[in-house]
This record gives sequence, C-alpha cells and structure tokens, in this order.
Amino acid sequence: MPSVVPGQAPSLSTFLKTLKSKDIETSIELFISLLQRRQIRNSRPCALATTQLLLRVVAGERTRDAQALITRIRNVGRRLVAAQPGEMAVGNIVRRVLGVIREVAEEDQDQSATSDTSTPTSPSQSASKATPHRPGISSTISSFSPLHHGGALPHDMHARPMSSGDITPLAQDSAEQRPQLGATSPSYAGQGPTQVTSLFGLFHTPQGASPAGTPPPGTQSPVGKPAPRQKDAAADSKLDIKAEVIDGIKELLDELEVVDSQIAESALDHIHSNEIILTHTSSQTVQKFLATAARKRKFTVVHAEAYPNDHLATHATIVNGNRKADDSDSNPSDADERWKPLTSMGITVILIPDSAVFALMSRINKVILAPHTVLANGSLIAAAGAATIARAARAHRVPVVVLSGIYKLSPVYPFDTDELIEFGDPGKVVPFEDGEFMDAVDVVNPIFDHVEADLVDLYITNLGAHAPSYLYRIVADHYRTEDVDLLAKEVV
Amino acid sequence: MAEPAKEVPKQDDEKLSPAELKKRAKAEKQARRAAQKESTGAPPGGPPTANGAPTGEAGSNQQSKQGDQKQKGQQQKQGGQDKTQHKRSGSQAQSQVLAHRRRPSQGGAALQAAVANSNVPKEPKKENKQVELFSHLYTQRRHTVEGVSKDVHPAVLALGFQMSSYELCGSSARCVGMLLAFKEAIQAYTTPLGTSLARHMTTHFLSPQIDFLKSCRPISESMGNAIRFLKKLIVEIDPSVEETEAKAFLCEQIDIFIRDRITVTDQAIASSARTQIKPNSVVLTYANSSLVSKTLLQAHADGIPFRVIVADSRPLYEGKNLAKTLMLAGLEVEYTPLSGIAHAVKDANLVLLGAHSMLSNGRLQSRVGTASVAMHAHQADVPVIVLCESVKFTGKVALDSIVLNEVAPSEELLLPQPASEASQQSAGEDKDEESSSSKVKQLGDWRDIKNLQILNLMYDITPAEYIRMVICEYGSLPPSSVPVVHRLANEGV
Repeated sequence: MPSVVPGQAPSLSTFLKTLKSKDIETSIELFISLLQRRQIRNSRPCALATTQLLLRVVAGERTRDAQALITRIRNVGRRLVAAQPGEMAVGNIVRRVLGVIREVAEEDQDQSATSDTSTPTSPSQSASKATPHRPGISSTISSFSPLHHGGALPHDMHARPMSSGDITPLAQDSAEQRPQLGATSPSYAGQGPTQVTSLFGLFHTPQGASPAGTPPPGTQSPVGKPAPRQKDAAADSKLDIKAEVIDGIKELLDELEVVDSQIAESALDHIHSNEIILTHTSSQTVQKFLATAARKRKFTVVHAEAYPNDHLATHATIVNGNRKADDSDSNPSDADERWKPLTSMGITVILIPDSAVFALMSRINKVILAPHTVLANGSLIAAAGAATIARAARAHRVPVVVLSGIYKLSPVYPFDTDELIEFGDPGKVVPFEDGEFMDAVDVVNPIFDHVEADLVDLYITNLGAHAPSYLYRIVADHYRTEDVDLLAKEVV
Repeated sequence: MAEPAKEVPKQDDEKLSPAELKKRAKAEKQARRAAQKESTGAPPGGPPTANGAPTGEAGSNQQSKQGDQKQKGQQQKQGGQDKTQHKRSGSQAQSQVLAHRRRPSQGGAALQAAVANSNVPKEPKKENKQVELFSHLYTQRRHTVEGVSKDVHPAVLALGFQMSSYELCGSSARCVGMLLAFKEAIQAYTTPLGTSLARHMTTHFLSPQIDFLKSCRPISESMGNAIRFLKKLIVEIDPSVEETEAKAFLCEQIDIFIRDRITVTDQAIASSARTQIKPNSVVLTYANSSLVSKTLLQAHADGIPFRVIVADSRPLYEGKNLAKTLMLAGLEVEYTPLSGIAHAVKDANLVLLGAHSMLSNGRLQSRVGTASVAMHAHQADVPVIVLCESVKFTGKVALDSIVLNEVAPSEELLLPQPASEASQQSAGEDKDEESSSSKVKQLGDWRDIKNLQILNLMYDITPAEYIRMVICEYGSLPPSSVPVVHRLANEGV
C-alpha cells in the first residue's frame, strides 16, 4: 500500500492522522471541508472518518449526561450531513452513534430504575411526549426532500418500539443471542400500549427482528422507554455512559473493518462454477466477494469500466488487485490486506466498455453491483452506468445481486431521486483544453445512477442475504426513529 | 505464373533458397486460385460471410501469418532469430517502415487466426487473448500493403486504409467511398483478350478489390448490397457492347445508385424525420449518424427551436464529432457519456438513432451502446425512431449481438499512456514510483497479464420492441416491415 506522502492532497488517511493531534472543533471543521471539497468521498471512507471523528467527539465530551451527548452528536452530525448530503454514509453513521448513546442511556436508566423505584419518568408520560415529535411522514411526504431533511422513515417505525438492537455490528455473535420472542412481548404489551400505533406493529417482536446482534435478553430495555430526561438520573448512574458509548462506537469501527469479509463469506452460496458474472466499478467489496468465490470455483468475470469517473481505478483494480487510487490507499486498516487481482487467481476477466453491456448481457449469468447508498425502499444509488446494467439485466432476465455493507443502508426514502444524483467534473468527459466545445456544449457527467428496487433481485449485506422488500426492516433495526430526521428540531 | 508471389519474397531473396521460393510461389498461386473459385462459385446474392469467408481466410491466413510474425518479431526485439525464421526479416523490414501507422500490437488479434504452420518459429506459448464467446469474429485488420494482390487499384487501396483506421467510418459513407473507388478502378480496367467484360470483371477484377476491403475491415451491409447491385449490373452487360461504352455505363449506374439510394434518399429521410421534431422538444441521439445529423441540421435550419442531447462512448467518441457539428451550426447541444444516459432519457422527448443495418427480424444493428439508449428510452416511453436508408436493410437476422458483430482491436480501448498518467490523481504518482520497481502493471501490459482479456465490440443489436418507427425513403415503417422493404429495394422482387 503506498503510504501517504506528507504534503499530498488531504485525504482520509491524512485526516485520520491529524485527528489525534488536533482539537475536536478543528477536526470537525477539517472533515466538513474535506467532505465539501470531495477529498473524502465514497461510502467507506466517509463512514470511517465519521466514526473516528464521532469517537473523538464523544471522548472529548466532559458530560456524563446522555442527553447532552445526544444533543452534541446531533449538532455535529447535522453539520456533517449538511456539508455533503450526498454522502449518506455520514448520516448513517451519525444515526448509528446516536442509537448507541440512546441504548446506553436506556440501559443506564433501566438500572437506575430497578434500583430506585421512584423513577421520575413514567413510560406513558414519555410516550405521549415522544409521539408528537415523530416525523409525520404522511403530511410532509410531498415536499419531502431527503437531502434537505436528512431522512424520512418507513411507516412502521412509528410502531416500532425502541429495541436495543441498534448497534450490534457482528453477525456472528448474534446467532447465539437470539432472544426469545415470547419472553419479551408481554412486557411490551403491558408497558407501552400507546406505542402501538399500527396493526402492523402488533406483530413485531420488539428486539428480535435483526439477527444482527440483539443484546442478551437480560439487558433489554423496557419498550418505548425514551432517553432519560432527568439529568440527575444520568449523573448518579453507576454506568459510565461515556465509556459504554465509546465501546459501542468501537464496535461500529470493527464492523466497518470486517464488513467486506463478512459479505464475502457468502460468496460461495451465490456463485457456481463456469458462471459469467458482470460487474462494474472498482468496488473493493465486489472484488473481495469474487476473490472468495475464486478460491473454490472457476468462473468468468465481465468487468465494465465505468467510464468516465471510475475507469482508471477500475483498470488498476483489474490489473493490480488492491487499489492504488483514491480511497483504499488512504485506508490504514487495509494496509496489511493486499489482495491479488482476480486474474492471478485463474479467473478470466474480460474488460469491456460500458457500451457493450447490453450486447453481452444475453450471456451473463449474474450481475453484481456495488452501491454507493442503499435507500430504505430497496432502491439504490450506484456509480453511473448501474442503471443501464440493471435494466439490461432485467431485459434479459438476469439476476442482479447488490453487495452492500449495512453502513450504506440509509433510512432515506427516495421521493425525488434526481436530488440524490451528483454531477461530476465535465473535464473528465471532454478535456478543458477543448475550450470552444466546452463553451458551447453543455457537458454533463452524472456520477450516480438511481436503480429502482424492482430491478434488484437480492441484497447481500454483512447480515446475510435479503430481498429488497425486506430492507426496510433492517433500516428499522439499525436506526432509531428519533434519529432518522437529523435536521429536525430537537426531539426527545 | 510466379508473378503474384514475387512481390513479397523480393526483399528476402538472398535468404531464401530457390526451392523455397518456388514452393512459396506455388502456395500463393493455389490460394489465389481457390479464392477465385470460391468467389465465382458462390451466388452473387449470398451474404458476404458466406461467399467471402473462404476467400478471406485464404488471403488472411497469409496476411495474419505475416502480421503475427511481425508482432512477435517486434516483441522479441529481434533478438532470437534463427535460420528457421527466415520469413520474418522481410515483413520486419516492412513493419518498421510502416510502424508509424499503427502500433504493432494491433495485429495481435491474429494470434490465433494464424494457422499453426510448421515453419512458424517455436516460442513460449502465448495466451489466447480472444474472448471465447466472440472467437468467430476475430479478424486481423490490415494496415499495411504487404501481401496485397497487385490487382488492387490504388484508389481502393487508399480507401481500405481509411476504413481500417476509421478515417472513413459509417455505413453509408463507406458504401459511397467504395462505389467511388470502384468507379475509378473500373475506369482503369481493361478486359484481357479472349474474354468479355461481363465474364471477367466480377471474378478477376472486382473480387480482389472486395477481398482487400474486407481484409481492412469487415464490410457493411450497405456495401454488400452495393456490391450485389454492381455484380448484377456487370453480369447483365451484353458481351457485344464495347468496353469503353460498358465502362461508361457502369460508372453512370454507380453514380445513379449513389444518388438514388444514398444522397437523395438521405435528404428525403431527413425531411421526413424532421417533422418528428416538435418545437421545444429535446432530441436524444447516440454516437454519430450522418442521417441524424442531417435531420437535426435541417430542423434547425427550418427554425424549429429544440435541444439535442448527444450521448457518446469510448473508444471512438463519434458523438463528439456530431456535437461539434451541431454546435457549429448553432444548436443547443448537451453532451454526455453513455453512463449518463439514464438522466439524459428523462429529459428527452424523442430518440433518433442511426443504423449500421436493419435486420430482417426488425432488429437494429448499430454502434455498440445503441441498444442501451433504446432500452432506456423504451422504458421511459420516449419514442425511438431509427433513420435508415433501405440500402442498409439486410436479409440477415440476429437474436443477440454475439453472432453478427465485429470485434475491433482491443488496443483501441487502452488509454493513451501519458494522458492517463497525467489525469491520474495524486495516487498516480506513487503508482509511477512503484512501477519503476516493476511491481505495478498498467492496463497497457494486458497482453502479459494472464487471464485478462479486453473486448472491443463494434455493434450491438437493439430488439425490435424498443423501436417505435423506422424512417426510410419508402416511408415510415414499423420494424416488422423491414424484410418487405428489403425485398422491394434490394432484391427487386
């Protein structure tokens, strides 16, 4: 991995390096400017940087009050999201961290509640307080803009009780910890009947829905319990909120690190011998997925080059395996895991220009895409060209598989997909030396495509494989209702 | 007798023993005989692949062998030549002269095409860089004059190289170019004694020209139709007609053909298609079609306010030429790479596409990428209209883009090395440093990277259901009417 030369243009690695030495406010400002200047871009670097930054923010916070911490993180998160609304991973991570804090706070209050019977907040009272703040989705739906509001939420989130299954990064431990559904539901029904606002919610088990690590049933918080309002409750708690939160964020970092290998684990379930697989862009996740399958099976990969925005990186990936360009060299955690190009593993790789996708699709067995962001309804934002690939695949009835870490899954609902599309440097299409042409002709270079949910057949995340129609559940498992709209006025 | 062979061995006379020389001359003569027999034997109306393949192969074996050796020779830096490689020196001398034309690696597609000959020198087995699915399409494009039959007229020679280097590109343009070159060639033609023009010209004169053009780049449907027309014309000439008169007649007929089937037709189609462009509409087109360009310019000249989106793709960037043309004419033009087509379609009201050929099952064969554009438009309910002269209609059918296609040299897809270096972001610098330690490979080294193949298709097939209308000189038709018009226009039935 080429180490970053000092004096190089700022990137994720330089940011992470300076993170330790600079004070928090400077770091936040630096990150915002890096985001705005697109010097940190793409989901993974953004997610990593956000997590590290929030870790710093939490660590630097003096307060032991969870509510203050939430407010602080929200404020920071709001600034980050506003800096680059297109990078939804930032918002996703902020929401996940908020979820961690809330969970810790709930646990904490749980404990204080058991020790002190005179809890100041009664569940019903807090529930009635909380309800008005829930984003009323039906009323704002038409004018709703995900970019301006940070996110919308699936309907069922109204009903969804706050489980503590929100942070839970590792799928492995979850298997053993699956809670007994029957055990918790009575308390659910008894404690927070006002919470159930839709019939749909009646059948939800409060915490079992995500196989991704629900904490042991013993630590389960009572349903519908809001974040502690009482400062003293937090203050005299036995738990060190900060330490807990930091642990939670570290788990999040671990998740980010292992997400690719977790996705790759299921490769053999999806790729058989002699398949012809089409993919595009230089996605590391896809390459790892294919490489894992390549250890056991022989197949052919057709690689569209994603001209004009990612073709150089794609070429480099095909030729050299681990990426040289932009983000991965700035990712220190990747430094030790160099991976070989697929060609060296005996996989035939056929490089094609994007234009040949339709021509070849009739011989393709499977399409594997890597998204930039996955949206709550199962649609996705991916590098430009993905829409063509997905539609050509549909026209030829070829299954489309999307590999995505949970961190790319956003609670945003795409009401206006045009807004989610970023337009890139026209100089990549036509060099600026061609002045006359550039002056007179409107050169357009979209970076992303929106792919509708019905074009996708399967999502493979680090939690397993899901139908696109199921994604909303995973969203509900990972993000708190209160956090979905980061830009909303102070909630809770 | 040995005339055709003399040309090549001349350069390496001193190295070839007379016996070898003789053997070679014989082989070449045989090949020529076979070629002539094939082309006479096949019906003139048959598809070019059917009547052209054996001849082409006989010829191209010879060529590709040379091309192959040339390439190997260059790759080996002319180091390990032994006596068995005697054939190489001649082609090498030539290839050095002609090296400026094209990169030597461009002949590489012939690696397999070259029949493993006993006197091809042994060397470490090269990996086959051809994509298996398309192995039937790989041909070597000719970029040099070596091994060209002496009968090929200079005008045709020049035309062939223009085609193989894309200087002359586009189905109708190539057709017109070919006819004009043939006209010149016909004027230089003299009937040998003891035969008549009608009998001699097609097989002995026209065939070498056509074979040569085919070896430069596979010929298009329009060219095939034009050749069929010309052959029919020649056969029908009365043997008693005087040669000059016959030649004048042929030239006149060629002019009429160009005028009727292409020039005037283009105008007719353009003015018919023009009516489809409504004021304030947005017209989307892909790559560069002369007909689309004409239509848009005419609509603009008629004062219709509209906007054009030109989608384009690597490696030919034909759309940029169209965008430039339209821009200079003062149209409002948007230019987007094919990756942005999903967005472009959202704005468009009409998609105008040019054609390489219209197949008899209503499908459109056009520049690769066209099918994607049509698919997006179809799904967005934007009408897709194909502009196509009837001379491009063909009796062939295809279900996918694999059987009927053309594979261009993969090297065209490689980025110009210095440019890619420069455009690479900061990371490119460490890349450079590492490449000095011979660790990092570039895409340019793809021939040395095992299992890596690069596929550069020329065309794709757009399904008929994506096409709302085909405008030809016979009017506006649904794609299902293509075979009818083809019979009417090209087969005269």
